Amino acid sequence: MTGTPFSVTTRTTVTGPLVTAEGELDVVTAPRLRAAIGALPLGRGRLLVVDLAGVTFCDSSGISALIAARNVAEAAGAGLALVAVPDRLSRTFGLIGLGDFFPTYPSAEDAIAAHT
Amino acid sequence: MAPTQHTFPPGGWQDVPVSMRSRNNVTVTGREDGPTVLLAHGFGCDQNLWRLVVPELARRYRVVLFDHTGAGRSDLSAWTPERYGSLDGYADDVLAICHELDLADVVLVGHSVSAMIAVLAAARAPDRFAKLVLLTPSPCYLDDGDYRGGFSRADIDELLAALESNYLGWSATMAPVIMGNPDRPELGEELTNSFCRTDPAIARVFARVTFLSDNRADLAKVTVPTLIIECRNDAIAPPEVGRFTHEQIAGSTLVTLDATGHCPQLSAPEATAAAITAFVGGP
Amino acid sequence: MMCQDHPGPGGQESAGPAFSALLEDSAEDLYEHAPCGYLSTLLDGTIAKINATLLGWLGYERDEVVGRRRFADLLTVGGRIYHETHFAPLLRMQGELGGVAFELKAADGTRLPVLVTSTVKTGTDGQAQLIRTTIFDARDRRAYEQELLRAREEAERERDRVQRLVRTLQQTLLPPALSEVPGMQVAAYYHPASADEVGGDFYDLFPLTGDTWGFFLGDVSGKGAAAAVVTSLARYTLRAAAVHDPDPATVLAHLNTVLHHEYRGADPRYCTVIQGHLRPAGDAAAVALATGGHPPALLIRADGTSAFLPDPGGQLVGALPNARFAAVDVLLTPGDTLLLYTDGLTEARTQGRVRYSEEQLRQDLAGLAPTTAPAVITAVTGLLAGFGDGVEDDTALLALSIPLPGGDRP
Repeated sequence: MTGTPFSVTTRTTVTGPLVTAEGELDVVTAPRLRAAIGALPLGRGRLLVVDLAGVTFCDSSGISALIAARNVAEAAGAGLALVAVPDRLSRTFGLIGLGDFFPTYPSAEDAIAAHT
Repeated sequence: MAPTQHTFPPGGWQDVPVSMRSRNNVTVTGREDGPTVLLAHGFGCDQNLWRLVVPELARRYRVVLFDHTGAGRSDLSAWTPERYGSLDGYADDVLAICHELDLADVVLVGHSVSAMIAVLAAARAPDRFAKLVLLTPSPCYLDDGDYRGGFSRADIDELLAALESNYLGWSATMAPVIMGNPDRPELGEELTNSFCRTDPAIARVFARVTFLSDNRADLAKVTVPTLIIECRNDAIAPPEVGRFTHEQIAGSTLVTLDATGHCPQLSAPEATAAAITAFVGGP
Repeated sequence: MMCQDHPGPGGQESAGPAFSALLEDSAEDLYEHAPCGYLSTLLDGTIAKINATLLGWLGYERDEVVGRRRFADLLTVGGRIYHETHFAPLLRMQGELGGVAFELKAADGTRLPVLVTSTVKTGTDGQAQLIRTTIFDARDRRAYEQELLRAREEAERERDRVQRLVRTLQQTLLPPALSEVPGMQVAAYYHPASADEVGGDFYDLFPLTGDTWGFFLGDVSGKGAAAAVVTSLARYTLRAAAVHDPDPATVLAHLNTVLHHEYRGADPRYCTVIQGHLRPAGDAAAVALATGGHPPALLIRADGTSAFLPDPGGQLVGALPNARFAAVDVLLTPGDTLLLYTDGLTEARTQGRVRYSEEQLRQDLAGLAPTTAPAVITAVTGLLAGFGDGVEDDTALLALSIPLPGGDRP
């Protein structure tokens, strides 16, 4: 295994949880992102922000975890925002027709500002 | 193909075709102008077992050594249970080595199971060989009617069962013991490699072929002059077996060394070399 | 320790005599009653000396053994052969040997698993004189080894069973043979990344109506049994939907509805697919393709030009409630080849560990033109073989071509 060690950290902002993922998001690490998001308290009208700036690789398992995040947020009546999506991942979203599926913002501050 | 220079006392490597050198780790040493003596090792060993007799033989003869396919530093990938499921596959290898190195008037020395491999090779291509030396041979290890091979089927099954169920004793136990000798570097990689590479699967098949083959009927097919060397005390090939082999090969000579064990080339190297040189003659 | 730490004069007087009495007694007594067996033999193996511990284990009297038996006589027959063919030659060559497993045969016929260590004692002239052997009771260790061996055999059997199951399951997810299409050549290949897990790639080519054939190639997210369930569902949904309405975009929309309905929520399952149908006409074939989030199909024309077929924005299948799909049409003429593949190929790590790419694939195959479906599959399987373990994911390939007139030789 090469590449950055994977990590997920969570903190709370005024609009809701901010999850920061770093490293390779693949079949081994994606379940950790799912578990972290599944454990979040998400109320109606809140915003789940996922910061992907530090994600160096994302395969189909990683994309599944992000789709799951959107479904979880939707079920709770909350919103989802992906922030600082790396270029390579943006291109992948485009290729698989998910270019406009995830609301994306340059930074967490931008996402929070847009939500409030 | 340019000859490769190696230093390997006492005679040095000569140009051996790559295919055989790699498959059977063929080594050529000794006097280039002497008669050719081809040494074939037995079950459980590789060509290293000849090393105490090689210096004496190399003074007089061109000595060719090799590892059977599946043993020592041979190409293990060339081993298949089909080809090496009978001694014929090994005899084919001996003939292939003779062919590729263009060896003529060969004195073929076979130890233990290789004595029967030598019998098969000489029966198939008698013109290739000048003489045979069978070192502690047994044409059949099992008792059969009046014939006393020394072992019952149950004994051999016990050996095979021991191998099947206990190959930790062959690989994991043996290998670290032999490798774990950092303060004896002279033991060198040749020993380590030799025994580390006793692949359990190959050892099982070789054990079966060695101890369950019955080559008694092949002895009469030997037409070249043959010397049989046995030891006074050999738990694997007892005196009755040496006598039987001697009786079945017309005109053969039987020498009984005052030695113990199945490997006189190690326990009595001078006497073994003397018996071989007395029979082979030459310079 | 206590004697050394507290060498007080009083203590020395009281402990001293008892301590030295112990020492005086110990040399002979230690040899005879040590917690291991001791044995000295002549070079031919004849037993010259043996301690009481070993005699006790074996149940022999000393004079039944000394000068009468060889070490090898104490072994089972199998052990004796091993001794003569392995142990004795090695000991002779290297002067010592340790930790070798044997079984001793006691006077009453019972067997004792032991570990044997031997050294050759040499005289001042360097000549070998005798062999000293230490023997340890190895019943516990042997039982442990047997248990290890049993566990390993069990694990190997289990692994074989899993691999057989995986092979079988994989076969059910792929067509046993591709349908023949008149006037066309078709070829496919499946490269599993693992023998232990079912892959998520799939393909098929099958007749629809009299003059139309359907085909698809796709990749389900994830691996293993859970992915295989989705693969199976995707396969029969695509086949059934294509029979009902062969329009590729409609077929994908149908699969999207089924998958999204089945796997919504926190564990979404989706796939990427190219779905198509083809209709041979004269020496050409009309192909319609819809793409659902899948890497684009590669078209290698007879004239040497090559291009990826445009994808009008088809989305991942199963992820969104109302995904969009649209079909494109392409006409294959003699010498043209269309290649469908999964990203196991284009994301493989090449020799330099850099990931391969779609553009690299196009460049590597363009030179084959005019080519055929079997030739392209052969070329790509050669590429995959070259990547070796750089192919980290399963790879499926499906190629369609129209032969040039006068034979299929390019």
